[in-house]
Order: sequence, then structure tokens, then C-alpha cells
Amino acid sequence: MDRRFKERLEARFGAQLTGPIRQRHDETEMRIGPGDVVQVMTTLHDEPELRFEFLSDLAGVDTGVVMQVVYHLWSDTTTDWLRVVADGLSRDDPRVPSVTFLWKGAEWMEREAYDMFGITFEGNRDLRRIYMPPDYQSFPLRKDFFLPDDAARSPGGGVRPMERTHAPSNAPMTALVRRGSV
Amino acid sequence: MTTTTGRPAERQSDDPRVTLDRDLGIFEPVPPYPPRTEREAEFYTLGDGQMFLNMGPQHPSTHGVLRVVLKLDGEKVVDLDPVLGYLHRGVEKLCENADYHQAICYTDPLEYVSSLFTEWSPVIAFEKLMDVTVPRRAEYIRVLSSELNRIASHALFLGWMALDLGGLTPILWSFIERDEIVDMLAALTGQRMLFNYFRIGGVNGDLNHEFMSRLGDWMSRATEQIEAGNGLLNENEIFVRRMRGLGTIDSKTALRMVMTGPNLRATGVPFDVRRAHPYSVFPELEFDIPTRQEGDCLARYLLRMDEIKQSLRIIDQCLHQMPDGPVMAKLPRLLRPRPGRAYAAIEGPRGQLSTYAVSDGTDQPFRMRIHDPSFIHLQSVGLLMTGDLIADCMAIMASLDPIMGGVDK
Repeated sequence: MDRRFKERLEARFGAQLTGPIRQRHDETEMRIGPGDVVQVMTTLHDEPELRFEFLSDLAGVDTGVVMQVVYHLWSDTTTDWLRVVADGLSRDDPRVPSVTFLWKGAEWMEREAYDMFGITFEGNRDLRRIYMPPDYQSFPLRKDFFLPDDAARSPGGGVRPMERTHAPSNAPMTALVRRGSV
Repeated sequence: MTTTTGRPAERQSDDPRVTLDRDLGIFEPVPPYPPRTEREAEFYTLGDGQMFLNMGPQHPSTHGVLRVVLKLDGEKVVDLDPVLGYLHRGVEKLCENADYHQAICYTDPLEYVSSLFTEWSPVIAFEKLMDVTVPRRAEYIRVLSSELNRIASHALFLGWMALDLGGLTPILWSFIERDEIVDMLAALTGQRMLFNYFRIGGVNGDLNHEFMSRLGDWMSRATEQIEAGNGLLNENEIFVRRMRGLGTIDSKTALRMVMTGPNLRATGVPFDVRRAHPYSVFPELEFDIPTRQEGDCLARYLLRMDEIKQSLRIIDQCLHQMPDGPVMAKLPRLLRPRPGRAYAAIEGPRGQLSTYAVSDGTDQPFRMRIHDPSFIHLQSVGLLMTGDLIADCMAIMASLDPIMGGVDK
């Protein structure tokens, strides 16, 4: 854990943080709103005392309540992995700016997150499905997408075997997600 | 229809989803629907004298089921569009519906020639979630077995690489190495390919006599044997002249394309997770990070050969420094970590492999994201092939060493 790094981040991004900076093991986590992604990532990438030039991972997460986009960054200025969580994307229409202007290689990771969660990355010029067929309608990694063997909860019927319906739009998500918020 | 498929009925103007009134002809190069994105529109518009060519999904040199649509001008490749998903199994979703121990075996077939690495990163992430300390002997066994696996994977790369260029002999030579190592690991783990050997808190079993005697026997002649195999290609003028200057990428572009592993180090960036963000017992081991400046196919090939030598060094040190003790930490059978998040990255033979695991307090991971280097590297193929011939497409793809199991997840 790099305590000084936490202080540096708090001093630099105080206004944009939507939650406390958490540290555990060798990871530092900061939460920002989806609107601040471009500014925060550009600062992290460009500023010489931060130098986060390496994007380790980009992942979508569905907490059952909101959507998140989670970035993991590496820099030689700290011994920690930096996790930037763009939090609070609406589940009905999740939108977040693309980071392909900094890392062209994030393009496929964003395509994957779009394919699996339906998150729209604004500014990605090739945002189409990557694994699933182009006429596929569902978003498989969402929490209201049930596997076929999860028959008790599956609405079933009228869909292709691979295609599963999502939960009815008026169903409370808290009933579908196992426990707690993530 | 009583239920609705898909989410909102009203479509946004920039919604790139398509609806079809007929089945997709999956092997038609030009998709039977209007372009969904700017890039797709640009790619599927033919210029003067250009044509499309499908390569795959059953093409032998795509290393699995990958389809690449090539846009050709004569024999020159103008642009290409890889089409993925033929091997997609939804591993992440399966892991979310399995408990922590079961999730690890789903990760084995991701990179089926280097399974010990794909199971290592989730194991570290789960251990972080549970605050488990792994016994030192188990860590040494992990390093020892995985470095053996790295050599086996690089040996296979050497064979494939030459095979894609039309050389038949090297693959027969490299399989001598690979078979010996795989047999060794079978003695240790019980499996030849999908080992499922690492456990949360340690490894499945201690080193046994058969493994040690096979390893000792192999180590005494490994260097010589590997040198002999390399000699077939390193000094082969046809091979070297074909590879030099092909598929060149510079370090800045490689970082922008988020490349890792040997492909990044071949451009001169000494980034290796084992040193950049050390895990396991790598801080205690001495080894170099080989780099090359050229960033072409030859550099990527030679760099992997250098890495084999470093792996042999690591194995040698592991055997000398191996401590005594248990190989498993004491853990309850049913694992229920507290809610939290953990991220773990390791250096696989193809680059950085990482796992982001989220726990919600139950016995199943709430979210498990697997990041695979093959997936990342495959998207750079189009960038590396500017105006090269069709035959070079295979050479460039082989030099990036993608495994379709990892690409398609």
C-alpha cells in the first residue's frame, strides 16, 4: 500500500472523487462520475508526476443497481495498481466516454464491454458486437440475464435458445441480485 | 410473443444493433446488413480494383477458429477485419455461477498451451479477497512449474511460427521439448494440458519423485537441446530475411495499443509484470528481462528464445532455493470472502494476464473479469500489416502468438 500516493491523488482529484479513496493489498481505488472520465484519465496519463501510460485492463461491471466501468492502470511512480471506477451509469442507458483517444488498444475491450453489458462508449468508432452474432439482442453478463439451467427464474419461451429475456422492466433489481451492493 | 427480447424497444439513433429478416450467411465476407459503425462502413466499401477475401474460420494458420476478412488490392492486404466469437464460451458468466474453487477450472482452457498461467491470476485475486498467505514452498512450486510451462509454450511458438512460414522440421524438433515438459507436468499435476493444479492457498500436491527425476534428466541436456532446435531457424537465411523488417511497430504505438509481454519488449520497453509489479517469489529470484529494439517479427521471435534461457535460470534457482514445508494454507472448504474487490496480474508467456474479482460475501464471485493478452494483441494485426502480402499475414499473426481460446473466452 502506497499511502503517499493516496494523498497525491486526493490533492489532485479532490473535486472529481465521488467516494473515499480505498486501499487494500497492492491496490488503490478511486471512484469518479462517468462525466469526468476524459479529464481524469488524460491527467493520469499525461502529468509527469503520475505517468499512468499503461492501461492494464478495462472492464464493465453490473452491480444490479448501477453499471460501472473499471479501469486498471500501471505507472512506475507508484507500487500500487490504480483502479479507477467510473460509477453510477444508469442501467437503462449506460453511457461513458471512450478512452480510445489515449489508448487505441482499448477499442476491443470497449467493444467487449458493449457486447456483454450494453455500455455505450461515446467516441469509440468501432462499437459493434465482438463475440455475439450481430443480430443478437441480449447482454449476457448483465445480472438480469439468467443461464438456461437457471430455469426457475428464466422467463423462457419465444426466444432463441442462446437468447434469454431480461427481467421484466418493473422487477425490483434488489430481488435479483444476491446480496449487498458492490 | 408474450415476452420481449432485449432491452428498450425504442432505438437510439446511434444504436448499432441490427435486425435481420433472414439468417446470417456467416461466411459471406460482406455482412448482409447496413454497416453499424463508422469503421465498418469504411472497411466494407471497396475501392477501385479491390476485393474481399475470407481467411478462416477453419484456416490452419489462424491458430484456432478465427475469421479474418482481408481487403485486397492484388496480392497486397489493404486492411483487415478480424471476426471473433467462434470459440466464445462465456467463461466469465460461467465463473460467476460457480463457486471459487470451481471457477478456477473454467480458466484452464483459456490459453490451452499455458494453462498454469491462466489459473494463476484468478488464484492470486481470490487469495487477495480472502487475505490468504500462501506457504513459501507452494510459491516456489508455482514458479517452478509455470516457468516450465512457459518454455513449453515458447517451444510450441517456435514450431508454429516456422510451420506458418512453410518450414516443417522445426515443429518436430520443438515438440521434443514440449512433450518432455508436458510429460513432466503430467507426472506432477495428473494432466498433460489442462492442469488445474493451483489451488486457492497453494498447490494441489507436493513435488513427487517421478517429476523430479524427469526434470533432473531434462535439465542436464535442456540448454543443448534448445540451442540445437533454435539453430534450425536462427541461422536460416530464408527465415531471417523473410522475418526481418516485417510487421514493425514502435514502442510508443505498442503502448497505445496496450500491448504487453514479448511483443512489447521486442520494441524496447522493458515491461515485465514479474519485475514491474512483483508477485509470488520473483523478487527473490535473479533473472534478466531481455529486450530488443527492432519491433519486427524477427525481434519477437528472438526475444522468446532469449526468454527460454531466463526461464531455465529461474528453474535452476527454484530447485536450489526450494524451502521445506506445507504446500497448502489451512482454509475452510466453503470459501466466503468478505465483500470486496481484488485485481491480480501475472506475466504469462504472451503478456500480462489479469483477473479482476468482485466478491459480494457469497460463495460465488459476483464478477470475474479475465483479461487475456492474445485478445489485445490480435487487434494490432491490422496495424502491423500495412501493404504487406497475404502470405505475410500469417507470419505476422504467428509472431504475435495469439491463442484463440484466450481471444474468444
